[in-house]
Amino acid sequence: MMQKKVCMLGGFAVGKTSLVRRFVSNVFSDHYHTTIGVTVEKKSVTVDDRDVMLVLWDLYGEDEFQRVRDSYLRGSSGYILVMDGTRRATLDAAFALQQTALQTVGTVPFISIINKADVRSEWEIDERTIEQLRERGWTVLFGSAKLGQGVEELFVTLATQIVHAAPIPRDCL
Amino acid sequence: MKSRPGNLAPHNESLFNAVLSTLDMVVFECEEDLSEFRLQGLPPDWWRQWVGPADCTVLDLGRCSPFLQEYLTSAHLAWAGTPGATEKSGPWTEPDRQGGSMTLEATALSIESKKVLLIERLGSGFKEMGTIVQRARERMLAEERTVKAYRKTETHLISKLEVSERTKDDVLALLQHLGLAALVLDERGHITFASDRGLEILGMTAEAVIDQEWEHALPLHKHDRVSIRELIDTVSVPRKTCVVCIEGPRPRWVEIEVHGDPRHPDRHIVIVHDRTELHTLRRVLNEQASFHDLVGKSPAMLRTYQLVRDVAQVDSTVLIEGETGTGKELIARAIHSCSGRKHRPFIAANCAGLTDSILTSQLFGHKRGAFTGAVNDQQGLFEAAEGGTLFLDEIGDIPQQVQTALLRVLQEKEITRLGEAKPRKVDVRVVAATHHNLSEDVVRGSFRADLLYRIRIARVQLSPLRERREDIPLLAQSFLGQICTATGKTIERLNPDTLRLLMSHAWPGNVRELKSAIEFAVISCKAKEVLPIDLPPEIISAPVVPSSSVWIPLPNRDEKSRFLAALSDAKGNRTEAARRLGVSRATFYRRLVELDIDPR
Repeated sequence: MMQKKVCMLGGFAVGKTSLVRRFVSNVFSDHYHTTIGVTVEKKSVTVDDRDVMLVLWDLYGEDEFQRVRDSYLRGSSGYILVMDGTRRATLDAAFALQQTALQTVGTVPFISIINKADVRSEWEIDERTIEQLRERGWTVLFGSAKLGQGVEELFVTLATQIVHAAPIPRDCL
Repeated sequence: MKSRPGNLAPHNESLFNAVLSTLDMVVFECEEDLSEFRLQGLPPDWWRQWVGPADCTVLDLGRCSPFLQEYLTSAHLAWAGTPGATEKSGPWTEPDRQGGSMTLEATALSIESKKVLLIERLGSGFKEMGTIVQRARERMLAEERTVKAYRKTETHLISKLEVSERTKDDVLALLQHLGLAALVLDERGHITFASDRGLEILGMTAEAVIDQEWEHALPLHKHDRVSIRELIDTVSVPRKTCVVCIEGPRPRWVEIEVHGDPRHPDRHIVIVHDRTELHTLRRVLNEQASFHDLVGKSPAMLRTYQLVRDVAQVDSTVLIEGETGTGKELIARAIHSCSGRKHRPFIAANCAGLTDSILTSQLFGHKRGAFTGAVNDQQGLFEAAEGGTLFLDEIGDIPQQVQTALLRVLQEKEITRLGEAKPRKVDVRVVAATHHNLSEDVVRGSFRADLLYRIRIARVQLSPLRERREDIPLLAQSFLGQICTATGKTIERLNPDTLRLLMSHAWPGNVRELKSAIEFAVISCKAKEVLPIDLPPEIISAPVVPSSSVWIPLPNRDEKSRFLAALSDAKGNRTEAARRLGVSRATFYRRLVELDIDPR
């Protein structure tokens, strides 16, 4: 089975671990528990009738306490930029991490998701900003790890982009 | 589990194992071709929890976690580098077999030619660090929530403030548009707001009044301040007002109205009404209603006031003509007071009933010994009035000889005392008065024509009271006030019926008679208002004269009857008889002679 490394990137407390846990185990906790280092999870998805094993590297959130190590990003086939719609500052963290990822792994597929769609009325990221992100070529999805909205779509869409971007290995044909 | 000693195994195996146990780490030595990682020494307990209980001395890469697999791939760089070089994997979390997790970190290093892999479990120090980071981030999130709540509140308040400001602007615009002059005072009496119109009326700038205590900011006289303070201290319904003067180069008269602020009982709203124009008009009206000691606002009197002002501007001799009691001396005094001679003497002399020698002596003075009884040098009235005005009342009654001497004085501006030969220069303005028709006297030969022309350069003719009845209420009220003040009685007004009687009376004695009647009434009055019964009997019993009728002087025979009747009523008391007729004693005596009445 094809295996693809996917890194979860974003500022702290944006919901990276929650998205992974909702996707892998279909569970959610309101309690915030910061990630230290990396936790690796796996889950397979089907793309074009082929199973693809996503190896999800849930990295710690970047802030003034922890900088993401380049070594964690190496070998990634794609990455997910997670933002918290209720905190505009997480958009800046996403911009910085996207640049780091670009320098480390090059132009691999990535998808951005604005999490916490369940409290849309409290969002600080407005439509105009979202439009500007899309104008930059970003794929922007909305989701809620709490409600499970947009989670499956997020990983399947990225897996599809990765599969379509990469040449099909001989042993997978 | 017993490990197989490898190439790294020291000579003292127990010491090596003790070190590994203390450091809580697993040590592997890599084959030259990187095909195998062999365990060195005894592994700690957690290693078994992770990889399982099997007696494994070789690291099975196929069963390793994806993280470690990828790390070992990249660790070649460290092993290929200089001896002593190390490369850390960074921490990662692995599930253990008990359903928990552990955080590990791998280190690749070269020792001499050997490739070594260390895997350590990050223990309490790492957990402590994790707890610190967790707390710091929770605090940051809480702070962000607080800031966000503050911002939300701030936005809400700004929006409310904007609405409030807009409302305030609208109200202010309305206030300014309406031209309402208003001040707002806080609980300390400081002015917190002043409308544009208010500032305009006060003649002040906002900087000069805002945040200032009203008592200091407003230039007020002490008693006006007291009045306003009383209004503020006793705000009541119906509201009271007071009129005060804002002092300054251009004094403003304003009516102050104080309201309690409905929102704050200790604050006040002061409404200011400009009453300057009203005050000015009232003053002008009052000035018109009286002139010096003259009272009256009838067209005839207003013309007289203006004539007096005009006459006062020149130094000519003036002749005042009018019936007895019309106030000829008051007119003379007014001319003097309005003229440039006002600070010099005003001397009044009644020329009636005096012999020519006495009158000459009085007017021009005499030298000691000039006649019997002239024991000292005596200056005359002309000299006494030097620089001022000499009022010669009843000039029509002066003897021919005195007329000649007077003519000389008026022509030469010099007098000669009786008994002296040398004339003295005098600077006196002569104002003469008469109730005679001097032109007729000239025709009859009793008055010198040249003297008439000399004294009649300027003329003031006074109307009798019956021709200006509209002045009667004003005069009566004025006399009532004067007499009450003098007598200490408190009589507030004239009863309408009393006023009706006064208005219908003929007043042959003119204003003097009216004054006597009011004086009589005040003495008789027992109430707060003068009743008809209080008036003299001749006024009560007199037939009503229609207001439009013109009073015609009685022929001499009828006048003689009146004088005789008055003397009879007064039981021969000539002063009382004169009072009853409303004429002066001098006039009374003169008329007795003219009417050939023997007072006895």
